[in-house]
Amino acid sequence: MLVLKRTVPVIIAFVLGITAIAIYFIPHQKAQDLNETLALWDRIIAAFAFFLGMYSLLYIHGQRIRRRQAGWGYSAFVYVGFALMTGTAAYNRGHWVLVAPVPGGAYDWLFDYVFIPAESTMFAILAFFIASAAYRTFRARTIEAVILLVAAVIVMLGRVPVGALIWGQFPALQEWVMSVPNMAAKRGLLLGVYLGAVATALRIIFGIERAYLGGSGE
Amino acid sequence: MTKTRLSIMLAAALAIGAASAWVDEPAMAAEPSLTETTGGPSAAQLLPPLPELVEMSDLPNDNGTGLVVTWTAPDTTVVPKSVFYRVAIGTSPDGPFYPAGEVNARLGLRASSNPAIFGWSPKNEGLQFLVVRSYLVPSAAPGGEPERVGIEPDRTYFAQFSVVSGGMEATLSNVLVCAPRQNWFMWTKLNLFVFLVFVGVVVLVFIELARRNPNMYIRKIAGLDAVEEAVGRATEMGKPVYFVHGLEPISNISTIAALNILGPVARQTFKYETELKVLNNDPIVLAVSQETVQQAALDVGRPDSYDEDKVMFVASNQFSYAAAVEGMMVRERPATVLLMGYFYAESLLFTETGGHIGAIQIAGTDAYTQLPFFITTCDYTLMGEELYAASAYLSREPKLLGSLRGQDLGKVVFLGILALGAILELVGVHWFTRLVTPL
Amino acid sequence: MIDRLISIDRRIIFGFVAVGLIATTLWPVLLPIRPTSNVRKIYDTIENLKGKKDAVVLVSFDYGPGSAPELQPAAINILRHCMTNDIKVVGMALWPDAVGLAQAAFDSMSTMYGKVYSRDWTFLGYKTGMATLIINMGQDFRSAFGQDMRGTSTAEMEVTRSISRLADFDYVVALAAGNSLDRTAWIPFAVDRYKVKLGGAVTAVMSPDMFPYLQSGQLNGLISGLAGAAEYETLVKAPGSAVRGMAPQSAVHVIIILFIIFGNVMYFLQRRRDRAVRASA
Repeated sequence: MLVLKRTVPVIIAFVLGITAIAIYFIPHQKAQDLNETLALWDRIIAAFAFFLGMYSLLYIHGQRIRRRQAGWGYSAFVYVGFALMTGTAAYNRGHWVLVAPVPGGAYDWLFDYVFIPAESTMFAILAFFIASAAYRTFRARTIEAVILLVAAVIVMLGRVPVGALIWGQFPALQEWVMSVPNMAAKRGLLLGVYLGAVATALRIIFGIERAYLGGSGE
Repeated sequence: MTKTRLSIMLAAALAIGAASAWVDEPAMAAEPSLTETTGGPSAAQLLPPLPELVEMSDLPNDNGTGLVVTWTAPDTTVVPKSVFYRVAIGTSPDGPFYPAGEVNARLGLRASSNPAIFGWSPKNEGLQFLVVRSYLVPSAAPGGEPERVGIEPDRTYFAQFSVVSGGMEATLSNVLVCAPRQNWFMWTKLNLFVFLVFVGVVVLVFIELARRNPNMYIRKIAGLDAVEEAVGRATEMGKPVYFVHGLEPISNISTIAALNILGPVARQTFKYETELKVLNNDPIVLAVSQETVQQAALDVGRPDSYDEDKVMFVASNQFSYAAAVEGMMVRERPATVLLMGYFYAESLLFTETGGHIGAIQIAGTDAYTQLPFFITTCDYTLMGEELYAASAYLSREPKLLGSLRGQDLGKVVFLGILALGAILELVGVHWFTRLVTPL
Repeated sequence: MIDRLISIDRRIIFGFVAVGLIATTLWPVLLPIRPTSNVRKIYDTIENLKGKKDAVVLVSFDYGPGSAPELQPAAINILRHCMTNDIKVVGMALWPDAVGLAQAAFDSMSTMYGKVYSRDWTFLGYKTGMATLIINMGQDFRSAFGQDMRGTSTAEMEVTRSISRLADFDYVVALAAGNSLDRTAWIPFAVDRYKVKLGGAVTAVMSPDMFPYLQSGQLNGLISGLAGAAEYETLVKAPGSAVRGMAPQSAVHVIIILFIIFGNVMYFLQRRRDRAVRASA
């Protein structure tokens, strides 16, 4: 059993990892065909992960309802929302699931008038949170904080038309801040991040890193 | 106006070199010459001369589905804008030849603009080129649309090269010939391959060295030293610790780094008998998190403390996840919130809510765009690589310490390359930049 | 008083932001928009396809409803630009949430400009895979998308008949709210492997991430957030929700800056007061 749980996944990770790296450097059609096959497999597995997510969601919320845990009403609402969206999508204005989605039905209505406003509202909350976060934290306590503060003001004003009205050079200054210091910092950060990613990927391929298997990783 | 087609007889010999295992020899250049035909104006008077050198060769570093035709570039200051160079492809030396592509004589790209195909020779500035991957064959059905047929590997193709302007066309009478080959290695990416092997070897060597000497030095990372303090605070207040995963799946490196941190954090919470809740956005990450936390409970000898329901799948949608986590934060008021992984717009939603309820917040992410939000709103932030270092820092495992040291050496080498390359470029030396340029 | 102002209740800040947003929405102010070079590059690339026979642009919708206020105006105007110049457009989605948004964009623009489905445009729908989908498309477009969203074969539709690989598209524009543009799909695979010409439209918070790719040429142009969409609307001479959104966005930015200045003034007053108290003690 341990062989299936520990050894086989490591072997699969090694073989496929080395293959994927090799394919990147081999233009021969056989390699590209293999690449396409692996890509198709990956997409099929990714599609199955959707069902796994759905099962996990319904199981966990079902448990909460059964045990009447605190907040179980929200879990019931998950079932209501799930049933509503799945039902309307499956009904498909009477054409059911075997034809392409027919526009203008209940599913579209729920998507356009419930889902989109709800998501947009959550995203819009950020505008308010940014304002309160900026007020609390943009204090000129140190030199670095002052630099951060000045850069934030330049970019905020340079990105909107009113900045150009206040001072014509704001857009150009904003462009410079984004293109030079911002890019330098980003490249420095990314150099380290991608090297870390390469090292982690190599550890996974060679079976040294096994956190993705769960447990202690040993 | 009827199209006047001038047929030009040329005397030239074509030689085709044998293809090597890696590189196809280009077809020999065709030497053009013009002969006037009866009637009609002379091509030499009305059309620019045919290029001095016309070659067709296999497109290098590909799967054998490309040919490249090169010719001496005209003087673009005098050649009219209406002049085109046209290539037609056929499968037999006598034709028929089908249109494959054309290039404006004045605007055509120079070979120097494509070092991936032609390299860096200064002679490339004097050449124009056309890459041919397919040709248009008329439809068999009358009135049908022409069909685009792709170039196939290991098949001999013949090409006609013409100069066209207005209704006139002058064609090289000797035909170019080449058979494209499939290549087994992309030589343009040799520098990347060397870097990859170098980084890989360095990382593996340092992992081995760390196994022999586990006391490798890592500089202090304030955010990680604060984890134990943060868990202690939660224990004193009798409030839970929240571990919030980012939005990326298990295939993402930052998620794996977060899982590496979850283990030591879970062990600490079980040791202090503090409640830990792990909030997941992905079902596979959920499964791995559950195993990690369960193992942590076993490691500290408290297997009964593990509660599967406390490592939960919240929602897969970004803002549903954000709303659910925020709701839980406001209701349960955790003392400590650990945000580890790759985050998007929901990062500020989490941290503002966490700040509002008075929780101590430690964030770790390699999401560059979210770092400003974390830095300004969290008590401690692990930036980029520090997240990857966190697992080594907390666990002190040799494999992780060695890997970290190997990364650092790799970084030093890259910084050296950057510095050297920048200095050489400033003094006008370009070969080093070309050596390391990914093509 | 100073201490109370320094730790002002955040709901007061929310109130000011709300007033600024509502006022500028109800009483719109049209601000002059100056298109920047990064937006202009996308515009010019599409403009240069005008007149080219069988030019096809691929537009990828990789965002959800949360980012729709920023990215949907850009999507609509890119479609508008293509359709007014008789450039064929093919749409696809790497995010499932984007399907409804993409359909709405195609429906409105095709109706407005009299473009015919299957001849002038099509929408392929959503497929899983991200990077692997791009790889599939790069090798064999038909195996990745054998049919479009309505079930029509891509081999039969006039708009996709000449497309056998990703590189056959004259231009690709990816509108992304996540990491599909720079990390998981378009740049590392479509551009690096299949040499596709790529333009991007991203949310404003993501645009700092994209500047290295602009400089290296992997991205040929960038529309950043609502401001970028407003610039594009200005270029195609169709001011819409993005241009109208500039006044509220400007108002919020100014309010935030004023609060930052106010907070710093209070901070320095507090420091001066504390120093004075220490000196007198």
